[in-house]
Amino acid sequence: MTGVSDTVELCHLEELEVGKARGFDPFGEGRDALFIVRGTDGLKAYRNVCPHQGASLPWQRNAYLNSQGTRIVCSAHGAQFDIDTGRCLQGPALGHSLEPVEISISDAGIVQAATLRLTSLITDARSTSCREDK
Amino acid sequence: MNIIGPDALVFGVDDVDACARYFTDYGLADVGDGRFEALDGTSVVIKPADDASLPPALETGSMLRKTVYGVADQATLDAIAAELGKDRDVQQLEDGSLQSVDDLGFALGFQVTVRREISLPAETVNSPGAEPQRPANVIAADPEADPKPRTLSHVVYFVPDAKKFEAFYAERLGFITTDRFTNVGPFMRPAGTNEHHTLFCIQTPPFMQGCEHFTFHMGGPTELMQAGRRFADKGYETFWGPGRHIFGSNWFWYFNSPVGAHVEYDADMDLHDDDWVAREAGLTEDTSQIFLFTLRDNWIPTGGPPGK
Repeated sequence: MTGVSDTVELCHLEELEVGKARGFDPFGEGRDALFIVRGTDGLKAYRNVCPHQGASLPWQRNAYLNSQGTRIVCSAHGAQFDIDTGRCLQGPALGHSLEPVEISISDAGIVQAATLRLTSLITDARSTSCREDK
Repeated sequence: MNIIGPDALVFGVDDVDACARYFTDYGLADVGDGRFEALDGTSVVIKPADDASLPPALETGSMLRKTVYGVADQATLDAIAAELGKDRDVQQLEDGSLQSVDDLGFALGFQVTVRREISLPAETVNSPGAEPQRPANVIAADPEADPKPRTLSHVVYFVPDAKKFEAFYAERLGFITTDRFTNVGPFMRPAGTNEHHTLFCIQTPPFMQGCEHFTFHMGGPTELMQAGRRFADKGYETFWGPGRHIFGSNWFWYFNSPVGAHVEYDADMDLHDDDWVAREAGLTEDTSQIFLFTLRDNWIPTGGPPGK
């Protein structure tokens, strides 16, 4: 059930607000493994790993964007990233990009992420079920 | 020069309201006009990034706009003005403070220190072989304790030229190097304090120049743990810690922040005088900390085997 080509359910599409980001910790690791930004033209998903030092990006839950919602921001050292491409535009991760995560939406509107890359960090994948945010 | 240490760090930020909530939750007192104070009056100052009163931002986009040093007296201020005035502009602001820049372009302020004398007990420990520090019936563990940051301790910069940085603070402002990470940077203290460091720098490429972190001292390890736990429970994201450094011996717990730098709680830093000989080490996991922990939810072992 946790094969590398599997997917993990994250939430229903309706739970994602346009113009906002939301983080997910589908394996109960204590910090988000990935986050999704819902734009007007679809979803963008990235691993929650800053390419500068490997830090978790937000300063509090779901705080992945600047106040205008126009860039992804790492709150470790202020690196800013393009939402569509994940490319660093300013700050200590210049020359690097966030790593995209493959996601899909089921006919029922369930947002799922491929676990292929996510699992590389996981040492104790206790569950593949959708975990409610605290 | 009798510089005591940082009195204030001034930031120009993207989201003022988020920063206000963050530093209040961290434990600083909102005293108005964007100033968030520790118990001794040292502070973080939050302004909108386009506030006209702020010195220019670094090209890197760092939100740190000024480091304000507290000095012992007017004579020290005059000496700094004379020294820096030899080769750069030194402004005197309306509040009597000085404003200039260091050799890397970080804006600096200098003022007769605002630090208030604080008289607070240290954390106490009962240890076999030593006189008890808490007499009978005095309790140490208080779930309701609300520890507050006591004083602004130190600031750490990413710098493109650590040697140039160290030379400026040593030769122009009289800072003393207490320890050093090879090819990374020096820990430095100004002459007006015995604290292991109020300043540290990390050599980086130029596009990274900015603030790496800053911290306020807590009253001891238990206050640090309790404040950090309280902060994490409010949803703030840990970066590193809790743990204890080797150089400086200070306990640490770093969090991400909306000012684009880590904000730390620290406690119990070493003191040094002029007899100290600076150590040097390569920067590795094992030279930077004697131990490192990760917070977990409270848990209790109880009862028999599961299901029994």
